[in-house]
Amino acid sequence: MRWFVHRGLCAAFLSSAAQGPPVELVKPAGLEFTHRNSPTTQKYLIETMGGGVALLDYNNDGLLDIFLVNGGNLEDPQAVPADFRRGDPAYWNRLYRQNRDGSFTDVTAAAGLSHAGNGYGMGVAVGDYNDDGFPDLYVTNYGRNILYRNNGDGTFADVTEEAGVSAGGWSVSAGFLDYDNDGRLDLFVSRYLDYDLSRNLLCGTPFRSYCRPDKYEGTTNLLYHNEGSGHFRDVSVKSGITSARGKGMGVAFNDYDGDGFPDIFVSNDLMEQFLFHNKGDGTFEERALEAGVALSDDGKPFSGMGVAFADYDNDGLPDITVTDLALEKYILYRNDGDGHFSYASNATGLAGLTARSSGWGLGLHDFDNDGWKDLFVAQSHVLDNVERINSALQYREPPGLYRNLAGKFEKSALASLPPVAGRGVAFGDLNNDGAIDAVVAVLGGRPMILRGSANRNHWLILKLIGSRSNRDGQGAKVRIGKQSVYVTTAGSYLSASDSRVHFGLARDSHAAIEILWPSGTRQILNDVAADRIVTVKEPQ
Amino acid sequence: MIAVSLLSMFLAFQVTPELRQHVDAGLKAKAAGDLDTAIHEFKRAAELAPALPAAHVNLGAVYLEKKDYANAIQPLRKALELNPDLPGAQGMLGAALLALGYAGESVSHLEKAGAGNLLGVALLESGRIRDAVDQLEAALQKRPDDPDLLYYLSQAHERLAKQLFDRLRETSPESARAQQMLGDVLAASGNRDEAAKHLGAALALRPDLRGVHVVLGEMYVESGDYESAEREFRAETQMVPGSATAAYKLGSVLLQRGQVREAIAELQRSNALLPDMPETLLELGKAMATTGDAASAEKMLHRVLDQEQTSKLAEAAHFQLAQLYRKLGRSADADREMKLFQGIRARQK
Repeated sequence: MRWFVHRGLCAAFLSSAAQGPPVELVKPAGLEFTHRNSPTTQKYLIETMGGGVALLDYNNDGLLDIFLVNGGNLEDPQAVPADFRRGDPAYWNRLYRQNRDGSFTDVTAAAGLSHAGNGYGMGVAVGDYNDDGFPDLYVTNYGRNILYRNNGDGTFADVTEEAGVSAGGWSVSAGFLDYDNDGRLDLFVSRYLDYDLSRNLLCGTPFRSYCRPDKYEGTTNLLYHNEGSGHFRDVSVKSGITSARGKGMGVAFNDYDGDGFPDIFVSNDLMEQFLFHNKGDGTFEERALEAGVALSDDGKPFSGMGVAFADYDNDGLPDITVTDLALEKYILYRNDGDGHFSYASNATGLAGLTARSSGWGLGLHDFDNDGWKDLFVAQSHVLDNVERINSALQYREPPGLYRNLAGKFEKSALASLPPVAGRGVAFGDLNNDGAIDAVVAVLGGRPMILRGSANRNHWLILKLIGSRSNRDGQGAKVRIGKQSVYVTTAGSYLSASDSRVHFGLARDSHAAIEILWPSGTRQILNDVAADRIVTVKEPQ
Repeated sequence: MIAVSLLSMFLAFQVTPELRQHVDAGLKAKAAGDLDTAIHEFKRAAELAPALPAAHVNLGAVYLEKKDYANAIQPLRKALELNPDLPGAQGMLGAALLALGYAGESVSHLEKAGAGNLLGVALLESGRIRDAVDQLEAALQKRPDDPDLLYYLSQAHERLAKQLFDRLRETSPESARAQQMLGDVLAASGNRDEAAKHLGAALALRPDLRGVHVVLGEMYVESGDYESAEREFRAETQMVPGSATAAYKLGSVLLQRGQVREAIAELQRSNALLPDMPETLLELGKAMATTGDAASAEKMLHRVLDQEQTSKLAEAAHFQLAQLYRKLGRSADADREMKLFQGIRARQK
């Protein structure tokens, strides 16, 4: 392994030397990406949004690779229609293959991913939609989206047209899920605003700034049903997804009511959030208000950015965490188990810890392997001149790591990490050492690779292979003791995480594992030795 | 009205048919709202009877009605020159002068006219702030909801406060109170960094100053620094244990920081010191709901709604109640509260 550790960080963590720093900023060789959002004086809203990041093992060599979504060129002002100069290598999305020594090689061109289309880049979803054992990529744009099929030989092919998933408008986050449990991964796309560059508004006095989303109309999200044979069918209307028009940002999946069908949470910007309850018959009902996850504890809308749909308190029920802008406090809804949620930002201390921060991508993962999922957030305000508007706030912020102490949160010391305009973040174990790593996509900058520090606690990573269920095992529920993890690559913001499942086991050197596959199959694995990566196949 | 009332004065004067014709035509035009014709007719009447005060005052009154203050002044002055006791003329001249910004000159005329509300404004604009406050307070007694009076009285108090502030800074610039006041003003204007400096200086000079920690704490809350806010509110509650405000603010911050039990204790203490403040009751309701004490939470939230029907506090209380009833399985109650919440929300949009 060859990680180049940013030495400046070490001193900051001396106070917690017993356990070591929770994460370290590393600069692996070969990862030379710079996100280009092309900020203009026109303050086009799309400039503020990107970019996304995915952690996937595209060549099945057991090492996670990194895919980064770029923005595009914007003239000042930009004539329409624009092609955002995506043909220029400076604006390509990039795929970096991880090498055995921990360095990376840019394989974008060789993999056939240099054609980024004509849209301004946003995010990425990962899923093996054709069940061939190789993860595919879906890239969202302001403009036409692109589905890249993994050919299994190190290359990808743009199959958007034959798959029928080009979408259009302003797509933001996306994710693969098998919403009808038919064994094939379907696709959900969140969309932000009914927006056109030619209708961009200018706001702010005396300091010109980006307009609030309430100056624009919202739009609908999209759901595509996987018909097999490489084709998807747009079921957005038929499924009831378009019954709610929103200002979609993040999207995450989990089965909040335990009925065996994945539900969909969409974080919306400055309006009610959406919880699409899966009725199990191919249709959804938007129930956020009834379930208590639409608004803040005072009934106020907030600027929903990213979302994590995972069990933070080890009660076996998936909870919902939503990032938002400074002074709104990150939102945590605890699942009460009866179809309703309670606002838990206060009770967990998260409100007080996050009031000054603005969050985007996030994830609940066990960074210290103590058996409790910690909250990691990519942070930054949306306004690049927010300090001039409110001197107490900052545009660039270091990422936030909020350690989970049996259901209460405590801020970890990451203050010495450099402040950046964090956006997407993806999670996975890059170096297979059992500690969760995070890759933060930075708006207009270079990504941050944050390596989790292994400690004496035990861990397990499971790679699921579905047979009756979709091959990724997305939608499976995995339990070890009181911990539960829902298998998904979606969540966060604009990003896709490692499809493998990670558990911290604290002092337990062995574990009993229970897997409930989307097919309904229940699988028990007893006395599994810890500290290794285990591949689990779904029984036929 | 004034023109009509002056008709009798015309009648007492030697009135020629021509003069009477112009006066009648002027009055008729004025009554019909045709002010230009009225001016023309009254001008002609004043030319025909230059020694007749009523002719000039009528002309001035119409100019005043037309808001042509500059042209109103000359005929009103002429009328008062001919008859200093002419009814209404002093008030009209004072009003015209004030409208053009000659506040100092208008004062004597408005005093003679006994026009308390306009006099208050004239005194304010001519820098006699204390006298202005007295006049405006008296006028407000008669018209308590007059928006002009409320506006000018608030201006007068603000300027009076500014005068006192300036005096404090001139006479005791290094005093703790001067630092505190400067800090308060800076905090109110959103200049947090400078405010914190002066408030800190005030506390360094007089650590026992009441209220400084509250202002500092509020600034920290506004900037999202709840840890520092808690420190400041805690300092205030220790120094002034009888302060309901400090206890409420400490309780509110503790709630956001996840210290729910201690938050409830502080909020209950605040409610005991200053009972039934709706803000305190709402926070108590939220805190009690967090601990699962649904019955107490419901009680507190209903007490908010006993006092608040359409405010943001009422909106939040209905929302909290809807969540509470939903959890308790009381669907009909939850639906009702949600509808009330949405009704207030729709009105506020």
